Amino acid sequence: MSQPAPASGARLAVLLGGLGLLVIAAALGALFVGSARVPPGDVLAVLTGRIKGVDQVVVLSLRLPRILAALLAGGALAVAGAGFQALARNPLAEPSVLGVSSGAAFGVIVAQVFGLGGGLVEAVGLAACAFAGALVAGAAVYLIASRAGGLPVHTLLLAGVIVGIFFSSAITVLISVVDFDRLGGVVHWLLGNLSPIAPGSLAVFAALTTLGGWLVIGAARRLNLLALGEEAAQQLGVDSERVKRRIFAGAALLTSAAVAFAGPIGFVGLIVPQTLRLLLGSDNRIVIPAALLGGGAFLLLADTVARNVIVPAELSVGVITAFCGTPFFIYLLRTRVANPHL
Amino acid sequence: MSRLLTALALALTLLPAPAGALTVTDQTGRRVVLPALPGRIISLVPSVTEILFSIGAQDRVVGVTDFCDYPAEARRKPRVGGMLAPSLEGMVSLKPDLVVATIAGNRQETFEQLGRLKIPVYVVNPVTVADVLDLIARLGRLADRGDAADRTVTALRERMQAVAARVDGRPRPRVLYVLWPDPLIVPGRASLVSELITLAGGDSVTADGGQGYPRYSLEAALARNPEVIILASHGSEKSPLMRDKWERFTQVPAIAAGRLHTIDGNLTHRYGPRIVDGLERLARVIHPEAFDRTESR
Repeated sequence: MSQPAPASGARLAVLLGGLGLLVIAAALGALFVGSARVPPGDVLAVLTGRIKGVDQVVVLSLRLPRILAALLAGGALAVAGAGFQALARNPLAEPSVLGVSSGAAFGVIVAQVFGLGGGLVEAVGLAACAFAGALVAGAAVYLIASRAGGLPVHTLLLAGVIVGIFFSSAITVLISVVDFDRLGGVVHWLLGNLSPIAPGSLAVFAALTTLGGWLVIGAARRLNLLALGEEAAQQLGVDSERVKRRIFAGAALLTSAAVAFAGPIGFVGLIVPQTLRLLLGSDNRIVIPAALLGGGAFLLLADTVARNVIVPAELSVGVITAFCGTPFFIYLLRTRVANPHL
Repeated sequence: MSRLLTALALALTLLPAPAGALTVTDQTGRRVVLPALPGRIISLVPSVTEILFSIGAQDRVVGVTDFCDYPAEARRKPRVGGMLAPSLEGMVSLKPDLVVATIAGNRQETFEQLGRLKIPVYVVNPVTVADVLDLIARLGRLADRGDAADRTVTALRERMQAVAARVDGRPRPRVLYVLWPDPLIVPGRASLVSELITLAGGDSVTADGGQGYPRYSLEAALARNPEVIILASHGSEKSPLMRDKWERFTQVPAIAAGRLHTIDGNLTHRYGPRIVDGLERLARVIHPEAFDRTESR
């Protein structure tokens, strides 16, 4: 693979501007549609403060926080996916495929079983337990899969699958032994649940996504050099171990934030960065920031579909992303993994 | 050899039922053949356990599930495990004459395994309040406590009529009943809770949802301007009721009027005699004015 041309600031600005418009369009669309059937004029009136009442609750307390959570979770998962893919040099590496989501989910459920009170303490506690779970799962996958000289593609995927199964089984054990009172909603949550969260939790979610995003996006240039091979990167002054640790921590943090506040939604981290790579090339300085916005827009669209297809019931958003993600996974497996260096 | 076995098996199935045998039809229409009225009953259903205790048939109960927590004495009966995967060995070792199981909560495999072990299974399938009363009468006959069961049913009917007398003719408030807060799970069509809300003089805003207890859109539920919101706990203090989450929606009529209530879900979700306790609480919450002593007739 040749070294990508230097990112032109103008190109990145245009691209991010375009994706930003897409995000805004998706957010506006999501604000106007829903099972409550608030007329568009009334949505506008709510936004300008001219209407109070239940319409205001629907638009500002239900739809708006849900839109923000979808944007954060989608962006976090897509950047985490891009980070894991660059780290593993494997197009199929992704939080759910690697078992990192399952580890985070296990952490969240353990935290719920023991109970964390409520409010901000709970939000931070859930995220911390999710992060611990994600780190353990990620480290386990790495230790199982690594061979002298790297991470072979198929071993990595199998290690991810097996760690994922382990944590899913551990979750099943918890669901079986803990009474329904505390874990009744967990089956739905495991498929992704973007129901509105409290403003304080949303703020914690945003802060963690910002921190994780900075860790990954800030190392994008060094990731490009790392793609040339570790030896070459070393010669260009990149401390490859340090970059890897930073990306791993960032991607695990993003995954755990998304899992803690929106559930283990699969495949966003696969679809979004890989689509962007197909469209934009492999320059991480472009792909990863674009994944932040693209992932948000994608998950928001998926969630808008999920909450509108079987009104007044709702689908779990993870069902939609899985239906989109599995064909895409097969496509990547058939076309891109034939070359293990991709 | 195999032909011989087949013939033998066929001959066995054609044998007449043993003398003194009793054939009953269970709530799903299956015929259950018993040598006599059962003296050793395993209940795989918490509501069936409640019914058996309420009609004084507790001495015949030799095994219950981990979820059979009412009345308190039921906890002292030997346990056979959960509802989904009760221990076959545990059940066999209790030497039951009859196992009572439910379509909603137990598994087909359990019925089949018990059938292969020649343990009679009586399957219940209550959906409505009438089904619950019918079930009490059936279990009464089965446990030789028919009179006690009839008295129980009569008393429950009288209490239901008393509720009806208080709420009839009053305006019907729109009620949002929350089985689980996140994701929102509510009573939908053909569910016991929807029926209880109707009997309690309310209109459930989610009665058009899916069959039974569907997941439901929160905004669709709130957009129907519920005047009363009822959060179900699941029998313990640890249930995540998320009251604060609901209290934020101050524009919703129920919250604005301070009509956010909680109820013990074991009273309203279990197909046992306590549904009438549940009905009375629902009616008090939905129509407090009908129970206010100063206003009552």
